[in-house]
Amino acid sequence: MTKLQRIRDILLGLIMIAIAGVMFLFQESVYWVIISVLSVIFTFEGLSTIIYYFTMARFMTGGRSILYKGVILLDFGILTGTLTDVPRIYVLLYLVAIHAFSGAVELLRAREAASYGGSWKLKMFHGILDLSMALICIVFIRRLNIAVIIYAFGLVYSAILRIVSACRRTKLVYIP
Amino acid sequence: MQEDFHYYATYCAAMLAGYSHEESLDICYSAQFVDLCSRTVLVKLGAPAIAATTQLQLELMDARTDIAGIQDITRIWASFHFLPRDLYANKPKRTKRYLHKYRLICGPNGDLVKKTVELAKNRSLQSAGIAMHVMADTWAHMYFAGTPSLVINDTSGDFTELTGETGEVKITFRHNPSAPDDLENSIYTNSLRQRDENSIMNLGHGRAGHLPDYSFIRYRYMPAWDEYRLTVKDNPSDYYKAFSQMVYAMKYLIGDRADFEIDRYDQDSVSVYEDRIREILGRRRLSASDDWKAFGEELSGETIPDFDLDKYQDEYIQAPSERKDETFIGRFIQGAIAQKTMVSEAIYRSGNLLAGIVQIGGS
Repeated sequence: MTKLQRIRDILLGLIMIAIAGVMFLFQESVYWVIISVLSVIFTFEGLSTIIYYFTMARFMTGGRSILYKGVILLDFGILTGTLTDVPRIYVLLYLVAIHAFSGAVELLRAREAASYGGSWKLKMFHGILDLSMALICIVFIRRLNIAVIIYAFGLVYSAILRIVSACRRTKLVYIP
Repeated sequence: MQEDFHYYATYCAAMLAGYSHEESLDICYSAQFVDLCSRTVLVKLGAPAIAATTQLQLELMDARTDIAGIQDITRIWASFHFLPRDLYANKPKRTKRYLHKYRLICGPNGDLVKKTVELAKNRSLQSAGIAMHVMADTWAHMYFAGTPSLVINDTSGDFTELTGETGEVKITFRHNPSAPDDLENSIYTNSLRQRDENSIMNLGHGRAGHLPDYSFIRYRYMPAWDEYRLTVKDNPSDYYKAFSQMVYAMKYLIGDRADFEIDRYDQDSVSVYEDRIREILGRRRLSASDDWKAFGEELSGETIPDFDLDKYQDEYIQAPSERKDETFIGRFIQGAIAQKTMVSEAIYRSGNLLAGIVQIGGS
């Protein structure tokens, strides 16, 4: 990571924390922003992954998994976009599903990393955090502004991770 | 390849080609220095950073992967460690963007190997050493490219070591940077899979760990680019060819042969020692340096000193600017810049911008 990239990541992290603060303050009125941002991110990621598949990964060994990933992301994006007009409780259930799924995947990755003798503690922590957020959504399912709080909390967490990783040298296995 | 081949085996090859002990030491030092001449070292010496022949781990961590960053990485790794075999290779139904990466796949006996050896002709011993490093790596690093690419450099997770006539052992990979490869239990370190096409982790043979660097191993795996076909990499055989080709090439450089032709190997000098060489190459261990060193010392009757990175640095630092080109490292730098320019320009001339826009006389 270059110095400019580090500075950019630190600034992005600070902006994310500021946005999360605004969300905490105006929970009711920023609801639709969360849905829109999620929808745009998933749709963009899905489309770019599908384009990458057809231009580069089509003939690659195991490349079809990239197509599946692109289709699933695009599907998530479109589905998220349609949630603006449905009762907020469905959005909350949707957040439960996303966090539970992400948590399960992280726990599986942590198990895989541990079997390789690699670093697994951070992955395990991510998994537990994601599952906890899913659980909080279920516990407070009748309090509809909880989605905003959880999203804002997720933003703060991502921001901190971004700032921390920008400030440290990452140890990695690199074999050219 | 590692120090055992680039330093000690290159010394042996130079001796067999007819160089003196001192000349062979200069050649093998230069061949090994290619793996260590990073920007960090050059900046410390006050030398031009453009001559870098490798990137350290810390430099790679800071390397950009935008187009300018990728071009910088490609100029270094394609020129010195993953010489492309065929810059005009074709595959139907592939996009131009895919083909630009595909054409950088490294392999022996390509046109650029010939150009590399011819470039070193009538130049310094340092240039000869650089050429020998590049040539040897075409055998070790074949099937991987010196540019970041998921679709080229990724592999399936299943690697099998082929032992004896019919024996097979499943290879296990781990990502622990501090653990040495465990030959007894076939556990090796490789780089993490990154789904980003241009991730630095997708440069070279990281997904195969250090398997291409061990002369003893024969293994089977599935590269990302070869349409689900299994590839068998026979390192003992490939390394023997690399050694024989180095002797052949150095006989051309020393003036014993008028031309250098690809896919030609020295038989006259090497066949006498074939059993010995194959035994060194085939023995199972992390480094074959001791055996190559003993072989080299038998050939010359002289002692081969251990590789010392600092050996020529004071000479370069203390030389006045107008005399720096006459120092050992000065001559190495000239050879490195010439090689990088030649390869980068060839890539650019093939219509491929992955090594940047290169004009004759500059890189």
